[in-house]
Amino acid sequence: MIDTLQIADSIKTAIDTAATAINSPDNFDELTFSLDNIVKGNGILITVIGYVVVFTALLVLYLAIAQVSKILISRTRKKLEASGLAGQMQKENLDISGEVNAAISMALHLYFEEAHDFENTILTIKKVQRPYSPWSSKIYGIRQLQRK
Amino acid sequence: MEGINQFLNFTGFANATPGHLIMITIGLVFIYLAIKKDYEPLLLVPIGFGILIGNVPFIENVGLQIGIYESGSVMNYLYYGVLKGIYPPLIFLGIGAMTDFSALLSNPKLMLLGAAAQVGIFATFIGALALGFTQPQAAAIGIIGGADGPTAIFLASKLAPELIGPIAIAAYSYMALVPVIQPPIMKLLTTKSERKIRMKPSRSVSHLEKILFPIIGFLLTTFISPGALPLLGMLFFGNLLKESGVTKRLGDTAKNSLIDIVTILLGVSVGASTQATIFLTPQSIMIFILGALSFAVATAGGVMFAKFMNLFLSKDNLINPLIGAAGVSAVPDSARVVQTIGLKDDPTNYLLMHAMAPNVAGVIGSAVAAGILMSFLMHLL
Repeated sequence: MIDTLQIADSIKTAIDTAATAINSPDNFDELTFSLDNIVKGNGILITVIGYVVVFTALLVLYLAIAQVSKILISRTRKKLEASGLAGQMQKENLDISGEVNAAISMALHLYFEEAHDFENTILTIKKVQRPYSPWSSKIYGIRQLQRK
Repeated sequence: MEGINQFLNFTGFANATPGHLIMITIGLVFIYLAIKKDYEPLLLVPIGFGILIGNVPFIENVGLQIGIYESGSVMNYLYYGVLKGIYPPLIFLGIGAMTDFSALLSNPKLMLLGAAAQVGIFATFIGALALGFTQPQAAAIGIIGGADGPTAIFLASKLAPELIGPIAIAAYSYMALVPVIQPPIMKLLTTKSERKIRMKPSRSVSHLEKILFPIIGFLLTTFISPGALPLLGMLFFGNLLKESGVTKRLGDTAKNSLIDIVTILLGVSVGASTQATIFLTPQSIMIFILGALSFAVATAGGVMFAKFMNLFLSKDNLINPLIGAAGVSAVPDSARVVQTIGLKDDPTNYLLMHAMAPNVAGVIGSAVAAGILMSFLMHLL
């Protein structure tokens, strides 16, 4: 007969151990709210410097990217002017609305997926080979599957 | 008879504690939220099941080598990638290969919103310090406000490895709950007319700009914050693979197979690290409370800064302040939330692409913040 009392005892001991660990007063003692902790841990200093540096990093990146864009646009403008196509750089040609973008994307999608009105007239019949193997044989199959 | 008794003593039933049962319930809730509510299923399913794996009770330290904290166990080897911060940069590689920075490049001033929202990180850092956490622990908890799981795990692995479990779980839980946490704050801080602001359509971005951005971005940000090198290096490298146009195969691997493999390993091992005996402490509960506050502060910071920027912008270039909320990263969930809230007030005002700009800037911002905190505090370890 299984010693159920012993099992019950071990379960009780395990529950007590876990409960003690969870409710350990030592753990609570470690977390005591005090504003002095912020001063002691240089909280304000690290926060101010850290936040300023994050801002600076992204501000520098913003300025760099904005300048690069300007340089590239003016370079393209000069190229087009040299080739007599300056009209291409009008503002209305640069700012393409979301609707136009969506229409272009849809057209490209349909083109690449070949979902167009005129079907390709070249048809190819692919030969499909299913070489016999006892592993895939229906004769030796456990279940006879219904053929549709 | 003795053998049977020993076997029974080894079973999960004999070693179960209320803590294990609580954690198993939490794991089941994660799986439920992922499958039924569709909250970040790619993260919550591995983490949820990982929690189940980590909380099957057994007798520890008797040479079985099965627990995640037992040296030599399979789970311990998988956990090594978390503990040493190997997985997060690989995840960033995949994120970089997936991310299209066009929205940001066409309107680079929105990058500042990604910086503003990082206020959540530093506010939480101060809050955690006040509660008595050590400086490195407070910094690791603060990074939850960056709303970026890999960054949170990376910094926690460096500064407070003992808190990786609760920090990772808090970060990913709140990222999944972005659609619940952010909308009330966004509505509270904006008027209806502000939420209806229509932004100028994005200009088209040239291929050369897209190639130059990861190179310039990497050099500038890592020269300022070298601590973020593993994260930002991989992020921008992944993006260059995508944009270069000549490394399609590498880019495809990074954004599909590689990130999937690493997500599985990261999710399961982080979930399994929540072993009840180690996870269920008052510290973990405080970390959860601080995490929720950090998300709220970060959202408010982004929205308020967008309103502040509007004071200096012409009428034609106004920013819809809702997109400030996307500065918390949590790509692309917070951008989706912005879109949803914006559509409620004006069903023809599509903010998604505009919101993606601060969203991806937030990823860079939180990684930079992690690098700064690391460089400040590594000497204390």
